[in-house]
Amino acid sequence: GDALLPAPQSISILSTNMKHFLSWSPVVVQGATVRYSVEFQGEYEREYANGSWIPISECSLTTATVCNLTDDISATVAYRLRVRAELGAMRSRWGTLKGFFNRVTTSLTPPLLRVLADGYHLLVELADMGPAFQFRVLYWKKGQESRVQQKVMKEVSSVVHLDTMEAGAEYCVKAQTHVEAINRSSSFSPTQCVRAQRDTSMWL
Amino acid sequence: KILHFGACRVSMSMTEIRAGFTAIKANIQSRDPIRTLSILSHPQSLHKVKSSDRCCITRHLLTFYVDKVFKHCRTEDSFVNRKISSIANSFLSARRKLGQCREQNNCVCGEESTEKFKQILANYEGLNVTSAAMKSLGELDILLDWMEKSR
Amino acid sequence: SGELYCSLPNPRNVHFESINMKNVLHWSAPEGTGDGVLYRVKYSVYGVGKWIRKPECRNINRTWCDLSNETSDYEEQYYASVKAFLNGTCSDWVETTRFNPLTDTKIDPPMVSVSSTDKSISIILTAPEKWKRSPEEESVSLLQVYPGLQYNVSVLNKKTKKRWFFSINNNTLVVPWLEPGTAYCVSAQIHVTTPVLDSSFSK
Repeated sequence: GDALLPAPQSISILSTNMKHFLSWSPVVVQGATVRYSVEFQGEYEREYANGSWIPISECSLTTATVCNLTDDISATVAYRLRVRAELGAMRSRWGTLKGFFNRVTTSLTPPLLRVLADGYHLLVELADMGPAFQFRVLYWKKGQESRVQQKVMKEVSSVVHLDTMEAGAEYCVKAQTHVEAINRSSSFSPTQCVRAQRDTSMWL
Repeated sequence: KILHFGACRVSMSMTEIRAGFTAIKANIQSRDPIRTLSILSHPQSLHKVKSSDRCCITRHLLTFYVDKVFKHCRTEDSFVNRKISSIANSFLSARRKLGQCREQNNCVCGEESTEKFKQILANYEGLNVTSAAMKSLGELDILLDWMEKSR
Repeated sequence: SGELYCSLPNPRNVHFESINMKNVLHWSAPEGTGDGVLYRVKYSVYGVGKWIRKPECRNINRTWCDLSNETSDYEEQYYASVKAFLNGTCSDWVETTRFNPLTDTKIDPPMVSVSSTDKSISIILTAPEKWKRSPEEESVSLLQVYPGLQYNVSVLNKKTKKRWFFSINNNTLVVPWLEPGTAYCVSAQIHVTTPVLDSSFSK
C-alpha cells in the first residue's frame, strides 16, 4: 500500500517569534482527499526512549498541509519532525524534515511599539508576543544620546509608564524583544520620538 | 528564570516546565494511589539540603528523572505523553547547563547530597518501576518548588 | 465504633479553597439528602503514613472545615477526606486531590495607600500576609514566601480616562508631574511569575 502513496515532499519549518510551523507540499490523488499525520522526536526520545516518535493529535489525519508545533517544541533541544500521507488504509512512507530543528534558530522580529506623551509622562504601548518574551526598552532625551536609560518589561497589558519628562523636551524610544529560554534578542524597533508638554504657568 | 544553586547559576524555562506539569498534574497524581509514601519529600525533605549541596542534588535529580522516571511514564493519553516529552526535553537541556557548572567546579557533591540522593533512590526502588516512576512524576512540583526556592 | 454498612451517597466536590494560605476544605452534601447529614473530616500529610482526624470537624452539619492550622507548612502537600452520616448509615470517605499550598493558593490584592500633593501621588503597597494561627503569632508576608513577587499598578486619569500601568518590584511608587485638580484612581495587583499566581486588582 505504501508504494502507491508518495511521501510528502518539500517539508520545511517556518519559525518566527517562537511560533513554529511545519509545512509540506500536498500529495495529489485525483478525486480523493489525502490526509496527513505529523510526529516529533526530541533529543530525549532519541537518547533515552529508543528513538520513539510522538504523534501530534491536532495534526493527525489532517487535510491541512501545515502543522503548528509550538506547544510541542517547548524545550531548547534538537528535534526531528516527520509527516506522512494517508488515504483510507493506504499510508505513505514518512517524509522527514532534513536535519534537526532547534527553537534557538527562531527568527525574532522587533516589537510593535507605540510611544505616547501624556503631559509630562512618557508612555509606551507594546504588542503582546506571548509568555516567552521580555521587552527591553531604551529611551533618552533627544540630544543626550549618551545618557540612554533602560527598562525591561515582562507582561505588557496596555499603556505602560516609562518615565516623566522635562517640560517641552523631546524624548526618543526604541525597543527589542528578549527570549530568555533561548537567550537571544531581536533587533531594535525604529526609534520614535515625542515631545513633552510645554511648561504652562497655570500649573506653577 | 535564573536559578542559583550555590555558586552555579542556570537559566531554566521554569514557566514552561511548570505549565507543562500543571496541565497533567491531576491526571498523573490520580494514577498514584499511595498516599503514605513519597519519593522526594519523606522521610527526609529536600528543603533541608544545605545550600552548598543544592547544585549536586539538582544535577542528580535531573539525571534521575531523565534516566529513570520519564521513560516509564508513557500513558494511553497522547496529550499527557506530549507534555511529558516537553518536560523531559527541558530537563535534558537544564542538565546540560548544570554539567557546565560541574566542569567549572561549581557543582561539587558533598556527603549530605550523596546521602540524600541515596535515600531518594531507596524510596524509588521500594516500589515497582511503573508506580515509582508515576509517583516521581507526580511529585515534580515538589522538585520545582524546591529548585525555585534557591532564587 | 465498628464500620457501619455505608450505603449513603458520597459527599461531592471535596476540595480545598485557599486564600493567602488559609486552607479551608469544602464539599457539597450527598445527592438527594436533605437536612440532618453530619460529617467527619480527616487529613494526611502526603508521604506520611497516617490519616489524622480533625476533632473540631467531627459530626458537623456544615459543609466546610478550616484545616489551615494542619496544612500551614507549605513545604508539605496534603490530602483531606470527608465522610457523611445520616440515620445510622454513612457514605464512603471521599478524598481531595493532592493539595500543594504553595501553588494551589490564591493571593489577595495588595493593600494600597495613596497620598498626594498638588502635582504628584505617592503609592505604598503592602503584600497580604500568610494566614496565621493567632494575631499574636509573628506575621509572614507573602513576599517572603514568593521572592519573585512583583506589583502591577494601574493609574487612571478620571478626566481623560487614560490608564497607565507600572510594573514594580519594590512596594513604593511616586508619580510626579500630574495635572492639578484632577482625580486619579489607583489599583494594584500582585504578580508571581512562577508558580504562576496573580491576584485580582485591588478596588
